[in-house]
Amino acid sequence: MIVGEQKPVAEIKELLAPYKKVLILGCNTCVKTCFAGGEDETAVLASALRLGFKKDGKDMEINEFTVERQCENEFIKEAAPMVAQNDAVLSLACGAGVQDIARLFMSTPVLPGVNTTFIGIQESNGIFTEECSGCGNCGLAVFGGICPITRCSKKLLNGPCGGSKNGICEINPDTLCAWNLIIERLTELGQLDNLRRYIPPKNWQTSLSGGPRRLVREDHII
Amino acid sequence: MNIDFKPKITIFHCINAFNEAYLQPLDVGKKFEVKVVNLACSSMVKDVFLLRAFEAGADAVAVLVCPEGHCRYVEGNIRAKKRIGWLQNLLDEIGLNGKRLYLFNTSAKNKPAIKDIIKQIMSDMAKIGRNPAA
Repeated sequence: MIVGEQKPVAEIKELLAPYKKVLILGCNTCVKTCFAGGEDETAVLASALRLGFKKDGKDMEINEFTVERQCENEFIKEAAPMVAQNDAVLSLACGAGVQDIARLFMSTPVLPGVNTTFIGIQESNGIFTEECSGCGNCGLAVFGGICPITRCSKKLLNGPCGGSKNGICEINPDTLCAWNLIIERLTELGQLDNLRRYIPPKNWQTSLSGGPRRLVREDHII
Repeated sequence: MNIDFKPKITIFHCINAFNEAYLQPLDVGKKFEVKVVNLACSSMVKDVFLLRAFEAGADAVAVLVCPEGHCRYVEGNIRAKKRIGWLQNLLDEIGLNGKRLYLFNTSAKNKPAIKDIIKQIMSDMAKIGRNPAA
């Protein structure tokens, strides 16, 4: 999923300051799972903003609505009547959702309420970790299902750097050494020979470094 | 304790931590007003319920939970505690003062506890004042 974190209320209040009537628009998919922009977080933020603006003596109407996904037009359309009634939209979706809302409602200012952080997993309750860099050319089959591009601090592709201690990365004590994990996993799978394979320098053209990407599925285009 | 207004207090409580009838001997309505919301477990108190109590005009919101280690549902009171800590920070951030939101560990067997709880809230309200967003 895409992991995000809600912006501080002070920053959000500043973004909303020029408007009188604002829609807080939640997204019930990825950002719900990471507690940044689902229905509950939308209700809490809307309530906090109403209290905050009232306390400041500012006349402001804060409305709220949540759609299933802000990255699909079919779902976004459900918000159209609400969007039409407000001066601006504060989207609690990831950056993709914010842009899709902006694309669909050209005449309404759309503001981001969430900082999109990474593609990751919920490792345990309340702990989210980055697992994928979206490089566009997945090599997980060779590395036992552990991505050295995302999870190795040095992005090494041909074995460990030798700097880790007891399975902990020398760069950051909160990070497990990805190569330690890869070796453990390949040993478990009986595929340690994968490490004999030379991995050539990665072609980053398939990543964001090659410019904005586009995926076309002709079979789904009518 | 000098207090120049009648604080509105909203109490959310686990049914195992408090009994509404315990409020009867206190001067409810004279020096303060109380709204009570009972819950099967304190963990059911969602963040937005507490904020909406402030939106509805509460000067103070108290959540009464069972003592730690005595939750019938194992960790409900711990969940409530964490949620309240997070919300207290949010209330500070919006300038409403997180001290308006209370968590008290108590038990339905401890009938006199509510007197001390109300006394503490009234004392704090005298210093903090009305809910500025009411």
